Amino acid sequence: VNQAVDILLVEDNPSDAELTLHVLEGQRLGRRVKVVYDGAEALDLIFCTGAYANRDPHNLPKMLLLDLRLPKVDGLEVVRRAKADARTRAIPIVVFSSSLDDRDLKAARELGARSYVVKPVDFRQFAEAVRGALLLGKAASGKAQQ
Amino acid sequence: LEDANHELEAFAYSVSHDLRAPIRAIHGFSRILMEEYAPELSGMAQHYLEVVSDNSLQMSLLIDDLLALSRLGRQPLQKQTIQPAELVAAALHDLEPEMALRIHVEVGELPPCEGDPILLKQVFINLLSNSIKYSGRRAEARIEIGSLPVEGGRAAVYFVRDNGVGFEMRHAHKLFGVFQRLHHSAEYPGTGIGLAIVQRILHRHGGRIWAQAEVGQGATFSFTMEPEA
Repeated sequence: VNQAVDILLVEDNPSDAELTLHVLEGQRLGRRVKVVYDGAEALDLIFCTGAYANRDPHNLPKMLLLDLRLPKVDGLEVVRRAKADARTRAIPIVVFSSSLDDRDLKAARELGARSYVVKPVDFRQFAEAVRGALLLGKAASGKAQQ
Repeated sequence: LEDANHELEAFAYSVSHDLRAPIRAIHGFSRILMEEYAPELSGMAQHYLEVVSDNSLQMSLLIDDLLALSRLGRQPLQKQTIQPAELVAAALHDLEPEMALRIHVEVGELPPCEGDPILLKQVFINLLSNSIKYSGRRAEARIEIGSLPVEGGRAAVYFVRDNGVGFEMRHAHKLFGVFQRLHHSAEYPGTGIGLAIVQRILHRHGGRIWAQAEVGQGATFSFTMEPEA
């Protein structure tokens, strides 16, 4: 429950999750990635509720990698809730979508998501987006602990 | 109508998200096999993987095209007075990367009309890009854009003419169908959506399009962008 998480990957499609993990590993970003399959579990993990009630609330993921279309609670709602709460606001969020045409991408940006990546993933662009967000997340959590 | 639009929108959303997911998996994993496991695969196995991967990309292009077509039916027309010559200039500018130096382009007189400038520019882009594609291999390729003399208050008839490979007139009825092609994709790449989009845009404006061609001599696409009085 208290495992340290650098990247919280929220993705319900198992093939997409596996591909994403493969790219992250190839870019040496694969250490401490936690995959959850719906928005409700993602919220439980960052707010230490439900199955994660015993998690240390200071042990936040360094960043969220979030599909927009998710079971139970959709990606936009996850962004909204994470950005509305002072405890989780500083976690950088990178959102995923299947289509550049997706109106939700714009909405996610307006809600405070840092950047977005369109699937099929351009591996390099994707890795850069993750690296940038991860650096920011580590800096933010370092500050919080001081 | 609103219900129908909502349904279409939901359909398009579902096409773009749900149909893409399996394609992404097919393409992504075949790419991983090709890039990381190539030494373990025979030449034939690598070739088959390439075929799988190419086809998944093609499927993805077809989905993009279908979406573009469905979007056309939904967005409202933003009509204003337009100068087709400006649209042609903008279209030619966009097409510059495809244009070979030795293609001679001639733009004649193009009377103004009423229409949606973004959509009508797409008409010229699609027609001109076809002309470039099918005439580009001529030693002296020629593309002519012009109009017929307007007769007393009638809608102008515009045309895009090239001296490319042309086609047999007995296949002309297929030209504007979705994903219909009169040439092999190995020879002339494309998904076969361009003219379907052109026709859909012109129909929405109350106009129409027709074609005249001869094998080896070229093709002429004539169209109106307004209802004919």
